[in-house]
Amino acid sequence: MDFRGILDRLRATGAPGLLGHDLPRAADPKDKKDKGRGGDPFVWVEPARLPAFLERCRDDERLRFELLIDLTAVDPSKDDPNLWVVVSLLSLAHRHRLTVKCALPKDAASLPSSVPVYRAAQWHERECGEMYGITFAGHPDPRHILLPEDWVGAPLRKDYVFPDEYHGISCK
Amino acid sequence: MGLLERQFEENVLTTRVDWLLNWCRLSSIWPMTFGLACCAIEMMAVGCAHHDIDRFGAGAFRASPRQADLMIVAGTVNFKMAERIKRLYDQMPAPKYVIAMGACATGGGPYYKYGYTVVKGVDRVVPVDVYVAGCPPRPEALLEGLMKLQEKIQRSSVLRRPARTA
Amino acid sequence: MAEPQTLPQSAPGEREFMLDVRTQDMEVNMGPQHPATHGVMRILVRADGEVCTGAQPHLGYLHRCAEKIGENVEWLQYLPYTDRYDYLAAMNNNLGYSMAVEKLMGIEIPRRALMIRTICAELNRIGSHLIAFGTYGLDIGAFTPFLYMFREREWMMALFEKICGARLTYSYIRIGGVFNDAPPGWLSEVERFCDTFEQKWQEYVDLLMVNHIFVQRTANIGVISKEMALDFGLTGPMLRASGVDWDLRRDMPYELYAEIWKDGVFSIPLGRGERGTLGDCWDRSYVRVMEMVESIKIVRWCLGAITPGPVIADIPKTLRVPAGEAYVGIENPRGELGHYVVSDGGKVAIRCRVRGPSFTNLAVLEELMPGALLADAVAIIGSTDIVVGETDR
Repeated sequence: MDFRGILDRLRATGAPGLLGHDLPRAADPKDKKDKGRGGDPFVWVEPARLPAFLERCRDDERLRFELLIDLTAVDPSKDDPNLWVVVSLLSLAHRHRLTVKCALPKDAASLPSSVPVYRAAQWHERECGEMYGITFAGHPDPRHILLPEDWVGAPLRKDYVFPDEYHGISCK
Repeated sequence: MGLLERQFEENVLTTRVDWLLNWCRLSSIWPMTFGLACCAIEMMAVGCAHHDIDRFGAGAFRASPRQADLMIVAGTVNFKMAERIKRLYDQMPAPKYVIAMGACATGGGPYYKYGYTVVKGVDRVVPVDVYVAGCPPRPEALLEGLMKLQEKIQRSSVLRRPARTA
Repeated sequence: MAEPQTLPQSAPGEREFMLDVRTQDMEVNMGPQHPATHGVMRILVRADGEVCTGAQPHLGYLHRCAEKIGENVEWLQYLPYTDRYDYLAAMNNNLGYSMAVEKLMGIEIPRRALMIRTICAELNRIGSHLIAFGTYGLDIGAFTPFLYMFREREWMMALFEKICGARLTYSYIRIGGVFNDAPPGWLSEVERFCDTFEQKWQEYVDLLMVNHIFVQRTANIGVISKEMALDFGLTGPMLRASGVDWDLRRDMPYELYAEIWKDGVFSIPLGRGERGTLGDCWDRSYVRVMEMVESIKIVRWCLGAITPGPVIADIPKTLRVPAGEAYVGIENPRGELGHYVVSDGGKVAIRCRVRGPSFTNLAVLEELMPGALLADAVAIIGSTDIVVGETDR
């Protein structure tokens, strides 16, 4: 199925938390500042209902996204008040992909964990959590994964300040 | 070798204690199996048939630091690993030597500027004897590093304690 | 055929005895400096006598901030960093990143460049599997096959050196094509390599794959069922060894693979549980070994079909990538290597996410280890074929 078909199916089955979608488009010739958007289409989903949405994607017979390929986040810019959590799904049976996005406010970055739906999300959520300072409520093992346990700050946020020293080793 | 030369039968050699001890040390440097990153693959290539580090007596890779003389830091060191490297170095018996293999171990390499967890050179954690340039260095470069280390060992003396291993 | 190895519960009387004995759980720390963890991974194994009761992988001993760097350096400058996360298959990483950027830019790649890209990616797949298989033998006690496999790998690395000047970190596949054309005589040397490799490959099978001790150590160990593989999001040989017929080269073809598949050049080897249970360590090795021959077939097809022409599209020195976001997944030797890039139209990416297959594949370890014997822990870890540079990035 292509993206249109997936979207129609999601709408027809009333997928929980579906907010909207975003398609690549050409630049508007009248507006000089508008450069258009390339790449992949995606759907916007309400963060609080992300696990339910993923469960629907996994269990629906026409969608059947068996694999959670990736779960990550994006900090669009310093001035943006939101972070995006981006989930990539893959269906082996129907050979299609879907990108799911949630917008989270930076000062209260929290959403329910998707581990009960896909266990593949476990490590991705740990990484995403430490890199962006996002809390995944209900995660079974919310420790740091790549960074040391006592690391301060969320390195992949755009306003991250590089440390001067760590345990007596200078970083300059 | 001075006055004693040719004073004994033919199967007796005379030499300095320094030379003998250094010769023993440099001819059987046992490195620790300690691959960190990309450079470790080249270190494995050095150990295999094509380049064969055994020709220099340094082919017996030991898994335990307590049996090793040489630590080849092959790859990027980050803060989480730095503490372990320090501990491993402390566990090695003296005399012990360190080769910093590649740009990352030498000074942070390509990760110098934006690598927030990368230690900018393993010499901030343990003393280094030989730096090998390259990203990753060719096996030949590592072999030259080893030969440089052997030259360095040849110059050391038993009477003076080597300052580095204190 | 190997006997299925189960936990100690043989005679009834003995079993009662076993229940009676109270043993303490012991925590065994494996790594980060351990010869069998393929780099610097640390696994905390909880053991009750000889039986593992739990395992907790600790990662991050090689975290090199690749994703942060991707947000700070220009598009082309990031290419050398892609070499360094999966350093055993650097060509494939270059390819994945280039394809993601090309998707945003909408560049048409010259056909000769596509051919050379495919040859390099497949040769690198062979090289990666050689290391995976060789070090796996090393892990479970067979030193000699490792030396044999490095012999062929040295030749393969010499081939790469001739085409791009580097042995390990190539940065050869660029955005828009490849860096330069193959030097004269290179293609015929690749052909000679293919001829020799096919003979040598039989040696590996005889030496290790069907070796009785190897089979004993790997068959029925670390069984991953189909459902478990899907739940954990495994990809690549790990998934195929569990009997799931999925290969991105066939099922979501990119570059030339649709054409190659249509010509019936290669097939997808699957685990069949030939020596033990479907999805055990032996099956995973089997899939990798068989894939090497398939890669040789693809290389041969390219060698036959390659025509002269330009090797790189016309792209500016400083790239400005149109705004948007793209996800491209390619079949790395370890599984699906995904690059998710987000651009706002500037010289630098907003986000440069790398979805490393080893990272996801490793997560299954927590589930596999409980119940295995302590001696089999190494066999299980080795069979996941991880590259720590990629799990930690």
